[in-house]
Amino acid sequence: MLNVDAEADRRDFTVRAALDVADGERVALFGPSGAGKTTVLEVIAGLVAPGRGRVELGGRVLTSTGTAAGTAAPTVAVPPWLRRVGLLRQDPGLFPHLSVRANLTYARSSSAGGRAGGTELAEIASSLGIDGLLAAMPARLSGGQRHRVALGRLLLAHCDALLFDEPFASLDAALRRSLTALVKDLSSQRSVPSVLVTHQLSDAQAFADRLLVMDRGAILQAGAPDEVVLRPASRRVAELVGYLGFVPVTWSDGGGSGVGGSGLTAVGEAGVVAGVHPDRVVPGADPVRGLVVTGTVTAARPSGAGWEADVSVGDAAFTCRLPSRPLGAELSVTVLDPPYFGRAGTLLAPDINARYE
Amino acid sequence: MRSISSGFSLLGAAVIWVALLGPVITLIGRMSPGDLWAALTGPGNLDPLLTSVESGGVTLGVLICVCTPLAWMLARGRLPFPRVWEAGILCALLLPPLVIGLLLVFMVGPYTWIGSILSWLHQSATNTFLALVIAEVYESAPYYVLGAQAAFASVDTSLEQQAGLLGDRPSRVFRRITLPLAAPGLAMSLAVAWARAIGAFGAVVIIAYHPFGIPMQIFTTLQETGLYTALPYALVLLVVALPLPLAAYVWSARAERRRRG
Repeated sequence: MLNVDAEADRRDFTVRAALDVADGERVALFGPSGAGKTTVLEVIAGLVAPGRGRVELGGRVLTSTGTAAGTAAPTVAVPPWLRRVGLLRQDPGLFPHLSVRANLTYARSSSAGGRAGGTELAEIASSLGIDGLLAAMPARLSGGQRHRVALGRLLLAHCDALLFDEPFASLDAALRRSLTALVKDLSSQRSVPSVLVTHQLSDAQAFADRLLVMDRGAILQAGAPDEVVLRPASRRVAELVGYLGFVPVTWSDGGGSGVGGSGLTAVGEAGVVAGVHPDRVVPGADPVRGLVVTGTVTAARPSGAGWEADVSVGDAAFTCRLPSRPLGAELSVTVLDPPYFGRAGTLLAPDINARYE
Repeated sequence: MRSISSGFSLLGAAVIWVALLGPVITLIGRMSPGDLWAALTGPGNLDPLLTSVESGGVTLGVLICVCTPLAWMLARGRLPFPRVWEAGILCALLLPPLVIGLLLVFMVGPYTWIGSILSWLHQSATNTFLALVIAEVYESAPYYVLGAQAAFASVDTSLEQQAGLLGDRPSRVFRRITLPLAAPGLAMSLAVAWARAIGAFGAVVIIAYHPFGIPMQIFTTLQETGLYTALPYALVLLVVALPLPLAAYVWSARAERRRRG
């Protein structure tokens, strides 16, 4: 079990992290660049000293500033080499003067006491698909192979917690997907707490049991990956998880759509907006399935196997993905089960949907 | 057009290379093996060579033990006011060796407090082997420190951090990661320092006229018997000083090739 409750000052804001990760649980810390995600990992790994807080791993106190939670606990700062916390960064950090085999077994003779035997080395190398590269030097490896070796080295070190700091961000989408799946499987097998930091929502969703959204040092929301995306706790979280538009709505007692065209006249009074996620839009008006919005297409472009359209609705605008090119300037779409946000930007209660749809 | 341009570049580089090697080519052209043999086998003629090799070896030992930690601390920003430290090293580099020798007399000469302590220990920092080593250290240390600092700075600190997270204490990280990765640069710095130490003359002529190393032997021979008789010692100096830099260069290149796989 990994327990973190710490604050670390950065130049422009304070990073406040409070998270508990159970053994075998995979947590993704998702947020934009510069949100303070890496600082959280560095506090756990002992590379950054928090201004206040406490970090515990498997019952061991790794960091304690002595003032955590108002207690008078002694100050503790276990150095990184005694923490048994593995960290994999975007740069795999292979030692260039050592062969792949020596890199993999690096921790074996370290003070942390890695227990990598020859059999285990062979098993992990085989599972990572690098068994034919053991004699090679890191400079000869491709990007994907380097990451596999770094991952193998991490696993052979038998750490008590695994931290991943955007490890595959520099790789192409297909390789990233396969390596994320590999990391997920291997993390589960080890039954240790795992934390992934990423600004790619797809990576976070592919990896995590639980998703934490972070912005400017604060954890804004925690929950199941699908729940966070479908019901973002605030408009800011919605923006971070990919909502590309917010259209004003007004309460329609009759149960029909409340936005689009003349419906916008009541916006100033209500101040309620519906979040539009581009992937949660279907063409055509279907009030049974969600919120019907009618607007004007201002731009359309191919996107993947379909089309992406920018739609303006009065002063508001949103982007949606459609299966085919929109025909004509006017477009009616149905936003499936959208989240609604009040004037303060917070999510209105889920049952509010019944009032607006 | 492109081939003409590269032809001119090659020619220019060759001209500069030959010009730089001109003194060495001249030296070898004017020497016969008999001259060299005579210079080496004359009575007492090997003493300056041995003195230079011994003092150069001790100087390298001092540099490794004292200046390597300084270079590492400079490279890792472990010292307060790093620019002040670097400026001090640059001062030592910029002072003409002759001036260093003069100042060393005022610093460690027999009438200074350091000289008094040395006298109490039955040692002297003028005209002794110790004086020769001191002069060589002062002439070569800045070259080694600056080179070693660059070598350590070239080691990615994230690798050291990674080694720490894999369970290595800082001392083991230094031994297993920092030192091997900085080694080619350190070797080259040491080679340059060796060349500076064994050829040191400016400070040596002031503070350590005796015992004679090869540079002093060349100087006195030049004064006493003329230019031609001094030349064989110049060749000896070259032959003695060159192998270490060459070995360092070859070893660095091999280490780099090995890393590239």
